[in-house]
Amino acid sequence: MSRILIIDDDEELCELVSEYLSAEGFETECVHSGDKGLEKARSNGFDLAILDVMLPGMDGFEVLRSLRETSNLPVLMLTARGDDTERIVGLETGADDYLPKPFNPRELLARLRAILRRAEGTGDALPENLVVDDVKLAAASRSVTVDERGVTLTSLEFDLLAALLKNAGKTVRKEALSETVLERKLSPYDRSLDMHISNLRKKLGLRNDGSERIKTIRSVGYIYTLA
Amino acid sequence: MNLFFKLFLWFLVTATLVFTVIYFVTKTFQTEPMVSRVQRWTRNQMQVYSETANQIVTSEGEVGLRTFLVRLRDIEPSREIELIGEDGKVWFGTASERPAMLDLVGRTLEGGSPSVDFSLEEKAIGTAPVTFPDGRKFVLMLTWEAPRPPSYFFGSWLGYLRLAGMLLTGVVLCLLLALYLSSPIRKIRKATQTLADGDLTTRVGEQVGKRRDELADLARDFDLMAERIENLIMSQKRLTRDISHELRSPLARLNVALEIAKQKSNVETQPVLDRIENESLRLAEMISKLLTLSKLESGSEEFERSTIDLAALVEDVAADADFEAKAKGKSVKLVSTAKCNVSGSETLLRSAIENVLRNGVRYTKEGTAVEVALSNGSHATIEIVDHGGGVPQDEITKLFRPFYRVGEARDRHSGGTGLGLAIAEQAIRAHNGKIKAENVNDGLRVEITLDAIDLKKK
Repeated sequence: MSRILIIDDDEELCELVSEYLSAEGFETECVHSGDKGLEKARSNGFDLAILDVMLPGMDGFEVLRSLRETSNLPVLMLTARGDDTERIVGLETGADDYLPKPFNPRELLARLRAILRRAEGTGDALPENLVVDDVKLAAASRSVTVDERGVTLTSLEFDLLAALLKNAGKTVRKEALSETVLERKLSPYDRSLDMHISNLRKKLGLRNDGSERIKTIRSVGYIYTLA
Repeated sequence: MNLFFKLFLWFLVTATLVFTVIYFVTKTFQTEPMVSRVQRWTRNQMQVYSETANQIVTSEGEVGLRTFLVRLRDIEPSREIELIGEDGKVWFGTASERPAMLDLVGRTLEGGSPSVDFSLEEKAIGTAPVTFPDGRKFVLMLTWEAPRPPSYFFGSWLGYLRLAGMLLTGVVLCLLLALYLSSPIRKIRKATQTLADGDLTTRVGEQVGKRRDELADLARDFDLMAERIENLIMSQKRLTRDISHELRSPLARLNVALEIAKQKSNVETQPVLDRIENESLRLAEMISKLLTLSKLESGSEEFERSTIDLAALVEDVAADADFEAKAKGKSVKLVSTAKCNVSGSETLLRSAIENVLRNGVRYTKEGTAVEVALSNGSHATIEIVDHGGGVPQDEITKLFRPFYRVGEARDRHSGGTGLGLAIAEQAIRAHNGKIKAENVNDGLRVEITLDAIDLKKK
């Protein structure tokens, strides 16, 4: 049974979400402030955290940032609906996904399951290791090195990179990426793939010759270029 | 011209004028009359000397004259006294001969009366004819330093020094005065600009210092105003945020509760719950759009500007909109495109184009396409034309008002929030662009113009 940590200052909402999720077979625990949430999240007792951006005291971004220093616990952020900057900051800080609040609980459920499935081990679907030029991807440890330098990726970024590397030199369609990595159909106006790709680019850095590793093919998809 | 320069110039002009007026008044009514009085007096004196010399030489002879001249020399040590003959020989005086004076001697004898010449540069010369009893003719010549009119400023190094000193003092004082008056104004102006640029913490009081005048009052008033504006905007921002949070929270709870109800529902209640879900979705969208709009309208949301490839952006949005339109048996066609870049927020521009495009898709008739065209002339222009029958002419300017709905579109089947075009207008306005709508053929044409940046120039 997966254990979910809910960090949100809205106690009633937490209660409702707990009730809903336990009916779907999850075990939940609620925390109502940022610093307590961070403490709990670091305790390793959870498989996933749902983190609200607006929290009293330490806000969601700060919690995520501090958490990411030590832990790769999958995090789904609840952002203010319509506020794109919040969404982008959340993804840049290293959230695995975001959901604008107010959210549809079914969507929350679907995303939770997608993130958990990925975290638990899509790894075995990979060939043991992937090596493309200076990038090495170790499936068992889910770790990545670039030019011998270790890079910390969230599990979503790891899967995204794996999907691109498997098809290195070929264009991977956005629809396919959305379905295999995010585990949802690509909907128009959804920018989260772009954001994850841009994080991935930042973390991998440029090639030694200054060229971009991942190229965007407008309105089609992405391609991991071969040196 | 800036204030400092104007003030400085005015002070300088005033000082110069005052100086000139005083100088000329003094010269005309004080110096000149004094000089002419001295000259008149000197001429009279020359007359007296000439008459006395002639009398003495007649009555007492050459010895008497010599005695007189010696006594004269004792009385007037500052003047050189000579008696020169027609031939230039000196009868009385230090030099023995004065050939240079022959001309003057000749003229004096010819004129036959005493005269004083003040026209020479360095000295004044008084001359008078003296006739000896034996008929020989001489000229009595008094030479002395010219009684220059006492010029304060011209003609001597001391005068020029005085002039330079005065000028320098004037310039420096004017400079200081102009600076004193204009610098607080400049500071206040700079603060106003920073405030207008959105830095609400700007204050000017400290910089203006310990003055006690109208300018200091102005600075203090400015600070009061800035503080008030800051408070207002901060509380407005806080209000916006609070409202968003407060409205969102119950909606989020509603959604979850609804889903739990659905888990426990039966076939009969399911459609009603679906209806509730739809309405709650609509409410959520309206709240988010209203927030976006209020942020844009207050201009309080500062956004990051970057260079945006508009062609790619339009292409992207058009592709998304096409995907959505296909589901309703409509389509979006990118008719023409041009390479162009604009500076701004990609998020805002995307939402502007998206809102206009979705609006077009909503109203265009089934089976038709919304046409999108991007051109780059003096501006970047995005044209979006639908085939939805257009809008009554008198309502066309009201399209961009929040919650404005045209005629029968008021029934909510169209699905819009009534905020899309208003958001588009505000977003475009935040980029100093223009957006306008007009009727064409069988539909509405919306045109967005933005300042394009020429990358080649940079």
